[in-house]
Amino acid sequence: MSATGVRPELRVVTDSAPPSPDAAAEAPPGVPFLAVDGVGKDYPLRGGGSLRALDGVSFAVRPHEICVMLGPSGCGKSTLLRMVAGLDAPSQGSCSIGGARIVGPGRDRGMVFQSYTSFPWLTVRENVEYGLRLHGETIALAEGAGEYFLDRVGLTKFANHHPDQLSGGMRQRVALARALATYPRMLLMDEPFGALDAETRWQMQELLLEVVTRERMTVLMVTHDIDEALFLGDGIVFLSRNPGRVREILRPDFKRNGRPATKEAMYDAPGHRELERHVMQLMRDEGKRA
Amino acid sequence: MTHATPHIAAPPAGAALEGGAAPTVGRQLSVDFKQVLGGTARATLGAVGALLFLLTWEVGSHLYGQLQLFPPPSGVVVALWRLFGEQGFAWDVWASLRRILVSFGIAAVVALPLGLLMGAFPPLRAVGGPLVSACRYLPATAFVPLFLMWLGAGEEQKLALLTVGVVFFLLTLLIDNTLAVRTELIDTARTLGAGRRQILRTVVLPACMPAYVDTLRQMLAVGWTYLVVAEIVATTDGIGAMMMRAKRFVHVDEILAGIVTIGVMGLLLDGVFRLLHYRAFPWLHHAR
Repeated sequence: MSATGVRPELRVVTDSAPPSPDAAAEAPPGVPFLAVDGVGKDYPLRGGGSLRALDGVSFAVRPHEICVMLGPSGCGKSTLLRMVAGLDAPSQGSCSIGGARIVGPGRDRGMVFQSYTSFPWLTVRENVEYGLRLHGETIALAEGAGEYFLDRVGLTKFANHHPDQLSGGMRQRVALARALATYPRMLLMDEPFGALDAETRWQMQELLLEVVTRERMTVLMVTHDIDEALFLGDGIVFLSRNPGRVREILRPDFKRNGRPATKEAMYDAPGHRELERHVMQLMRDEGKRA
Repeated sequence: MTHATPHIAAPPAGAALEGGAAPTVGRQLSVDFKQVLGGTARATLGAVGALLFLLTWEVGSHLYGQLQLFPPPSGVVVALWRLFGEQGFAWDVWASLRRILVSFGIAAVVALPLGLLMGAFPPLRAVGGPLVSACRYLPATAFVPLFLMWLGAGEEQKLALLTVGVVFFLLTLLIDNTLAVRTELIDTARTLGAGRRQILRTVVLPACMPAYVDTLRQMLAVGWTYLVVAEIVATTDGIGAMMMRAKRFVHVDEILAGIVTIGVMGLLLDGVFRLLHYRAFPWLHHAR
């Protein structure tokens, strides 16, 4: 087994290739790594006029931080994530990464979707290496990068299976490994565990936390699950709906001495219950407003 | 503290044995909806159906009495034997098969790239879509006089008719196949840094291939339906030409033999495409 605990180095052949993840740390002081600046989104309505889905949303994500966008359905959090991915364009304002305005998707921002997006005609290994192979001209295939990330998500034994032979949790692990394998500066996740059963879900949350912490990855994630937001988020952006606005930005105090590795550790942490109550109250308020 | 008597009690031991057979509840259907049949059962039932049909035909034909005009299946088998053995029918079958394969090949070569591109890019679809939809409603047989004038009575005219008969339907279905590619797969490739050509080559095409092969298989059957029409006009070889010759001499058994041959050929090609599908897309045929 060639997979080891050491991440293979990405050999950059041309200077147009993406910087290493640690470039995040090298962002000029005072410039947030990811900045969402006054972002709004209007959808035109039939018969004139428009519907404002997002209104003046601003927040920043620091390097190596997991930022979770939490809110009721219809608050525009997925739309916002798609804007950061470059798959959607804001009507007002802008998103920028490392000071550069985001105008389209790129391999510097890897994404994991809620629905299963493994390519069914490729094996698990080919799926994970897909992004690397795309850029064969500009990046020499990082030797063993596929193996390394397969090992990180525990799929080494299933490398030659096709995705349809895997369970839902395993398919999301393929998607995670594939998104990480191109060495993005950021990982974007749109309710990645939303389709999983409860047991698989918390196992995946712990796996994600372990992998992301180890890779020092910056993450922006969308969820409507309070427990997930509290467990994963170093920062939680709570969005209200009609239109989507930032209601509150929370920083779980119980993570001051590091992220809890397990759900139990989080439940035992002082201050967890109080924060959970507070967020539940925010959710209830949103329910009344609707 | 006493426990209440449980509402759900176990039946007294031996209760089932006392009255002979155990009582049953619920209604079972001998023929159930969505019933799952075993391979042997399916094959047996299929054979029974075919035999019933042939037997009815055979008996009916003999009861009616005019064997020349309404030959029984046994007569058709004899005719097939005679055709292949004495009249070189194999060459006719080959001529027809060649026409089908060449014309269908032309239709596929035209429709596959257009179906991929028009399905993938809305502006292209907007340009060509209405035209293709309209062309579907033009009866291919109406082109026969036109092709006779333009291409003469030779092979080209027959190939043109067979091609026109399928190409527009084929293109429409291939566009639909392409439209069915999940947007998330394309979005995923984009976030991994894929460009337009790369997405077309590494996502849209492989995602569509199984549906394309299925569509080709189904449209090939339509190709066969135009064969006899194509071979009626000034043709000396082919299954259709043999059938026209047979008509002149009231050899109804040979006409029926021609129809049976077309059916069998269609079934064989269908099987080839099914096998291709099975071999080329193994991930769709995994036992879960």
